[in-house]
Amino acid sequence: MRAIYIKISVFVMFFTGILQMKLFGIAWENFRIIQALHIALSLMVMLFLITPFIYGHIYKYSFVKKVKSSEGWVLLGSFLLLSCSGIYLFFIGNRGGDLFGSISFNTHLYGSFLLVLFFIYHTTKQQKPSLGYAMLLVLIVSLNPSSVYADTTKLSQMKVESKNGSFHSEDWTNSAKCKSCHSDIFAQWSDSNHKHIAGSNPYYMAMETLAGEAEGEEFRKWCMGCHNPSAITMGFGKTTHAMDGNFLSNDIFEKNAKALTDDFKTHGNFRLEEGVSCITCHQITKADGSGNASYTVSLDRKKYAFEDSTSKAGHYLSEKLINSNPQVHKESYSNPLYKESRYCASCHDEFHPKTDMKIVSTFKEWEKSPYNNPNDKSKHKTCIDCHMTNLENDKFAPLKGVSTDGGVVKKDVKVHYFAGSNHFLSGLKNKAHEEQTIQLLKTSAKLDIDIKDSKLVVGVTNVGAGHHLPTGVADFRELWLDVTITDKSGKIILSSGKLKSDGNIQDGSRLFQKVFGDENGKPVGLLFWKYKTLLSDTRIASKERRVESYEIDKNVIYPLSVNVKLNFRIYPQWATDAVKTIYPNLPNPPVLELIKVAKEFQ
Amino acid sequence: MKKLLFYALVIAATVLSTILLIAFLMPKKIIPNYSDEKLRELALSKGLKPVPSSYEELLKLVDDVKNPMTPQKIALGSELFFDTNLSKNRKTSCATCHSFDKDIQNRGALLSTLMTKNPEITNCAACHLRDQSGVDRFTFAEGDSGTQHPRRLNTQTILNTSFAKYFTWSGEVQSIQEQSANSFQAHHKMNLTPKEVEERIKENPKYAAHFDEVFKDGISFENTTKAIEIYVKTLTTRGAYDRYLEGDNSAISHEAKRGLANFIGFGCKGCHNDISLGGQSIQRFPLREFAQVYDLKLNFEIFPELKRVDSEFPFENSGGYLGKKNEHLFRVPILRNVTKTSPYFHNGAVPKIREAVDIMARHQLGRHLTLSQIDEIVAFLQTLEGDLVDYGIKGEK
Repeated sequence: MRAIYIKISVFVMFFTGILQMKLFGIAWENFRIIQALHIALSLMVMLFLITPFIYGHIYKYSFVKKVKSSEGWVLLGSFLLLSCSGIYLFFIGNRGGDLFGSISFNTHLYGSFLLVLFFIYHTTKQQKPSLGYAMLLVLIVSLNPSSVYADTTKLSQMKVESKNGSFHSEDWTNSAKCKSCHSDIFAQWSDSNHKHIAGSNPYYMAMETLAGEAEGEEFRKWCMGCHNPSAITMGFGKTTHAMDGNFLSNDIFEKNAKALTDDFKTHGNFRLEEGVSCITCHQITKADGSGNASYTVSLDRKKYAFEDSTSKAGHYLSEKLINSNPQVHKESYSNPLYKESRYCASCHDEFHPKTDMKIVSTFKEWEKSPYNNPNDKSKHKTCIDCHMTNLENDKFAPLKGVSTDGGVVKKDVKVHYFAGSNHFLSGLKNKAHEEQTIQLLKTSAKLDIDIKDSKLVVGVTNVGAGHHLPTGVADFRELWLDVTITDKSGKIILSSGKLKSDGNIQDGSRLFQKVFGDENGKPVGLLFWKYKTLLSDTRIASKERRVESYEIDKNVIYPLSVNVKLNFRIYPQWATDAVKTIYPNLPNPPVLELIKVAKEFQ
Repeated sequence: MKKLLFYALVIAATVLSTILLIAFLMPKKIIPNYSDEKLRELALSKGLKPVPSSYEELLKLVDDVKNPMTPQKIALGSELFFDTNLSKNRKTSCATCHSFDKDIQNRGALLSTLMTKNPEITNCAACHLRDQSGVDRFTFAEGDSGTQHPRRLNTQTILNTSFAKYFTWSGEVQSIQEQSANSFQAHHKMNLTPKEVEERIKENPKYAAHFDEVFKDGISFENTTKAIEIYVKTLTTRGAYDRYLEGDNSAISHEAKRGLANFIGFGCKGCHNDISLGGQSIQRFPLREFAQVYDLKLNFEIFPELKRVDSEFPFENSGGYLGKKNEHLFRVPILRNVTKTSPYFHNGAVPKIREAVDIMARHQLGRHLTLSQIDEIVAFLQTLEGDLVDYGIKGEK
């Protein structure tokens, strides 16, 4: 009787194991169940059946009956090898970082064939195979796992367009869940502007509410398509912010997405994560690059057994199942599309949904720039080559490291700081983040100055950006020249681009920006979607050199000392003042000095 | 050994099959797919009604001979409702906690607030005033000069209270007038004695004529609360749900209709009933004893999860409030506009609507709703959001 148990269990272990091979390509719904079953059964069988049996078997035949069976010992050896590799795969996994993972995986895979061969040889030597095989067949056939997970398979066929479709919060897996294996990437993302793009971004919250007020509450969805896709798909009409008792939560300053991690601990995936989460970007399957959330996010990714479990044990097991055979996990969260610029274009180009006015055209600017050069790979640079590459000492310094804890060491880990221009909001949380953005900003432009015919000529060249300077919401970005000229006696004879006492830039300063006007030709102020006429556009295109000249009085006494700075501020003071009405704790964004040139002219 | 294994297997199989059999044989609550007309008929037959859209119909429903509604009285009540002088430190009016924009048609309030230097309204109110929710959106109420509510109670919406029978969390208050008198006197709200209220009203010369016009006996504390009651009775909201009940099938989504069917089928409507979907009765919460101490969740896990929850409520009971007579008795809250009055429950301990629906189903109905059912009910609750009805009453002089 016992021998039959042993036979059945060995073959169940074997078949559930090989069914996971790529060769069979079984449906994912079945795969995930079989994978879990394989591990659970193997553990149980090993502990309660095989180990006592082997002990008894060896004792009986080798010590009592003194049978000499070399193939028996080989069988034992290969069994031990398989158990060890299995244990390694379960507890540590085949994450790619260590050689043992890969060795274990292959030993476990190919060793099992050897084991079964030895096993058959070992048993058939004594007696003929019996009922065991029939039982085994019945067992495999009776494994009908689809009924267990009916809830998830119903969803698995669906595709979400960004503007419609309703799903459960569970399908928007909380980013805090990814933290347990991708801790470095999570740490980078958690203080980045992608994480803090919705409820914890004071400027965004003010603007979304304003848009809802001015254009009707429905209009918020235009904003939310990119800023808060999860909430839209769940049918929520507005972005929410966290509260701390009766006070606004302090998440402008909060590090490492603490609130999100705490939420996940107490509510699991039941509480929806708002904003741009891991899932948002890593589940995009299609992007045509036309802006305004023109992506397809698919929530029917392949989940391992227990991945949606709310219990700690389930969470633990699902991690182990992923680690032991991570190929499917890897494939379902990455896509060659993610390296292309049009992927980013789905949100980094923006136009009014009704008037079709182009509000942000970062991608189109890049398309026309010399960086878009698919024929010459050495000159072709996509978004991630600058915005997701690590910087050190003001230069690009690809980060050598891992994206998964214990995973393969990569030469250029794509960092998730998403350095762009908003150093301010990420800097409130984390200075390391701010440094990345400031370094990137400094690579973008060059200054040259000269005095000719009583004119100060300042050249500003966009040397580093594959798009205009500034880009994005360029109506809110302030990039300007701060010029001071003093004569021989130290008297200031020319001054431009200084801040007024209220924090705004002096009138008549040379700003590089675009100014939107409404249908009556008046500046739109905060209501950028009212844009109908372009009042001015002084942005600098990629590789362009812009010349600004300042008249100098002919009677001044040389030598002149000239100080020119290229300053940058992320939001104008008047915009910050408006947002501070709602968020009194918000500090003022500082003025960044990107480049400074000082020269004496005789 | 062989026998032991055999019996162990038999016992395991029996236990497992018994559990599965029970689960299988348990009758499943199946909510049928109603047609739009059928669902409307069902909703109306269960006492769910739309909010009247005309003043005449409103009068039929809420007018009371003891304190009849007149346009002049409404206008006076509105003045009093927004008057911050009627509080000890002259900083708080009824509208401080029961916040909404007096100007129903107002558009562009936020923009003008953001664009003026030193605006009157700041912080939360700048954005949330225009929610027209009738609450302060705080976790617990704060009265004059930020005095915290002693029992940490959350402000309930004042909108649609004209259709309610009971008021406040315990439901011990029988009329809006009574509650407005309580609110003037409570130290954590307006903190004034009736005499002080009368004195404050007399300070403002415009009130005297107005009171004389409306009441025979002129200015008095009682008349003040009467006028406020009448104004509050006109604060009703209409939304997509009302249009659906009146015959517009396209007013609410398919998901919301499923939600309404669930709402009726699972029995939510048993307590959240009538026009206001609540406020009609006092009920125990949490109802199910079994769910009080431990929340045992049935799941197909290796270890079923046992979660310790607060012994009184399925959330932390900060403030220690236990309802009427300390017996967990609460007035059934009004569900109209519920999606704009988060956080939920008497101390605002639950911030999200889906969590609130889940708790209610678990502890009042003894049901573990599926995610789809929860989402459908939430979609239905969203259709209860509405704008203040402009009855076009002209009573101002």
